[in-house]
Amino acid sequence: MFKSLADWINDRTGYRALADQAFNEPIPGGARWRYVFGSALATVFCMQAFTGLLLMTAYSPSSSTAWGSVFYISHVMWMGWFIRGMHHFTAQAMIVLLALHVLQVLLAGAYRRPREFNWWFGMALLFVTLGFSLTGYLLPWDQKGYWATKVATNIMGGAPVIGPSLQKVFVGGVDYGNQTVTRFYGIHVGLLPPLLVACLAAHIALVRRHGHTPPQKAPATPSPAWPEQVFMNLVASVGVLSVIILVVLAHGGANLDAPADPSNGDYPARPEWYFLSLFQFLKLFPGRLEAIGTMVIPGAIVLVMLLLPLLDRILPRSFAHFLACGFVFGVLGGAGFLTVQAIRDDWDDRPFLAAREKADQARLRAIALALDPGVGVPPEGAGYLLARDPLTQGRAVLEKRCLGCHVHDGKGLGTQSASDLARFGTRDWLRGMLENPGAGSYFKHAKGCDGMMEWKRTTKLKPNELDVVADFVAGFASIPDDVEPTEWLNQKEVAEHPGLKLFQNDCGKCHVIDGLSEGGLRDAPGLFAWGSPRWFARMIRKPDALDRYGYLETSNRMPAFGTDQVSDADLNMIIRYLKDDYLKPAAAPAQAR
Amino acid sequence: MLRRELLARLSAGLGAALSLPLLIPGIAYILSPLRLRREQGGFETLTRLSELEVGKPRLFFIQQERRDAWVKYPREPVGSVWLIRQPKGANPPVVALSSECPHLGCAISLKDESKGFICHCHASAFDLSGKPENAAPPRPMDTLEVALGNDADPEIRVKFERFRTQSEEKIPLV
Ligand code: HEC
Ligand code: HEC
Repeated sequence: MFKSLADWINDRTGYRALADQAFNEPIPGGARWRYVFGSALATVFCMQAFTGLLLMTAYSPSSSTAWGSVFYISHVMWMGWFIRGMHHFTAQAMIVLLALHVLQVLLAGAYRRPREFNWWFGMALLFVTLGFSLTGYLLPWDQKGYWATKVATNIMGGAPVIGPSLQKVFVGGVDYGNQTVTRFYGIHVGLLPPLLVACLAAHIALVRRHGHTPPQKAPATPSPAWPEQVFMNLVASVGVLSVIILVVLAHGGANLDAPADPSNGDYPARPEWYFLSLFQFLKLFPGRLEAIGTMVIPGAIVLVMLLLPLLDRILPRSFAHFLACGFVFGVLGGAGFLTVQAIRDDWDDRPFLAAREKADQARLRAIALALDPGVGVPPEGAGYLLARDPLTQGRAVLEKRCLGCHVHDGKGLGTQSASDLARFGTRDWLRGMLENPGAGSYFKHAKGCDGMMEWKRTTKLKPNELDVVADFVAGFASIPDDVEPTEWLNQKEVAEHPGLKLFQNDCGKCHVIDGLSEGGLRDAPGLFAWGSPRWFARMIRKPDALDRYGYLETSNRMPAFGTDQVSDADLNMIIRYLKDDYLKPAAAPAQAR
Repeated sequence: MLRRELLARLSAGLGAALSLPLLIPGIAYILSPLRLRREQGGFETLTRLSELEVGKPRLFFIQQERRDAWVKYPREPVGSVWLIRQPKGANPPVVALSSECPHLGCAISLKDESKGFICHCHASAFDLSGKPENAAPPRPMDTLEVALGNDADPEIRVKFERFRTQSEEKIPLV
């Protein structure tokens, strides 16, 4: 039954002859392990096509969605981390195998007449593969891909005459953005694969035409590829696959850095390891000589590689072979040396390590936020993931703008001249201050701010009454933005609060609240809605207002911050950060899956 | 010949070893959506009883937070329901009908002069209680759970759910 169906198909397609051709290719000198590279490469390419196709079903190419979709693949989808990890590391395996294949062809002298075109197609395959790496690196739109690719396209832009236009076309404009992603994606999945298949087909057809290059002492009679050579090829491919799987498992899949952030100045950009030698080479040519490192020498090396098969025409055959091998090993040795040097340079480069550490924290934070059911990636895009995280953004702005004077949990960046802002606006902060306003974390360091210390010396309130007042004042923080003092005082919870009277009689001697207290004993900031976003915003924007610290001497006063220094969104981030209103980092950092 | 045979068998095994480690995860990857569960929303407040006229259906939007794969959306309309106030004394006093057609999921709208409901995709027709009026829909319009407050003019709250289309029974989508 099965056989007759097969016959029926064979009669109409002749597939058996095709299969026969494929499997029974005559191998000159018999099956050999050294012939396995080509088929291992073909296998690896098929793996890339397969995993790549799977990734395409989940990847979303735009600057706002790319990171989120890759995150989703790696952290949510079944086996997504594995599929993406395989794609990531198989790409690297492909480079390694290509290099080994080139070496083997070179040593065997298989690039020479009449196989010049084999060599050239092989070189074309090498460049197409590098093209895959370069374009693929950007697609997750994370910090790593963003910065590394930016460097690469800037190098392209340095090319004479057409450089700038070429760069603009590739990048899809002057700035990196949506068009960059779609263009790179198009090249990666639409242009390069058919190109690679075409080169591969031509390469294989030529290998078939000329046969493998047997070693000199090999027996003259060829033997068919099936089963011995096929078996060897399969063993090699399975070997390669196993190594890749082990690497993927060891790394727990491919890394995903924090979402691309064009404003982040200190990201330690590094290319993928096989470009590290070029990266290091560049450092040898500072300033105006740079083009020599980026274009002239690499270009010359490529040119020589392409011309190697023609060397025979002007030099004796074996001498040309010797020169060719010498050249390629020289280049590889140099590249190896530079790679090691690049790695060692980074090894004890403290600023680099610190920046990398920071980048890793951002990465883990971004992933934790995206995973959290209550947070997730904002609809505007992954670029806003960390910018809307109080722990990241609030802390960053606080460090940049405020910690020169203030401290946070005791930590500041200069000589302390103002309070500790940790948990500012909460009952904790308030109760602590009422206990000891002269403490270092309150008004000890703020010049001219001795009002609460004066109050402390004279007040008759007992600790339990302080608790009640603290409860009352801590409630100010939740007064909505559109509620006026009189409306607020009319609310039942406020009017009947036991702290109201205490506040009026004691605190009200200095602190004015319309309709509740008159002040007058000495100047003091207004406390209505203290700790709420509006109180806070006014404190930051107009510390010199009469209901803030306008009564102080200018030199003692906190400077005002306009929206150009602290945007409204950032202000909100600071407020939430100070009140600990954000997703708490897990005790153990989320595993890099 | 024995050697040939052995190599052939080993090759077959190696072929499997080469394809399965990618094929099996690949299938799992494609099947990932099967792992997802729809978040079951609670009751959403839509309006107050006094806003509804007896026997006159009105369409209300359901606002919910939503997660679409990696994106978290703030509260926004995710669906709509028809609310129909019943004559005095009826239980329940308000009926909520999902506006999603049980046939193939298109949106159900009101017929001219509010005499019933119609789905413009395949002309499924229903009367004002949601009962089918022709053979297109497999079942009546889907009723949703309604909860009313206790005051004189109670808030109307509806539990929004979606159901499998094309089936004669009302099966919630999870
Ligand atoms: C140049 C030093 C300086 C900088 C920078 C500064 N502050 Fe202040 N801040 C003060 C001083 C001093 C006070 C005490 C009140 C006054 O003198 O105006 C104060 C008071 C405050 C208060 C009221 C609570 C208290 O301790 O009295 C808040 C809240 C505050 N600052 C927040 C901020 C924030 C947020 C930033 C950053 C955007 C910031 N400050 C930057 C000096 C500074
Ligand atoms: C003697 C006048 C006086 C009295 C009484 C007084 N305060 Fe103050 N208070 C001040 C002054 C002045 C400041 C500004 C900081 C400083 O100089 O210590 C201040 C600051 C504050 C602040 C910090 C405002 C900011 O910058 O964030 C709070 C909160 C506060 N007082 C609460 C109270 C409470 C609650 C009471 C009653 C138990 C009270 N104060 C009684 C004078 C007074």
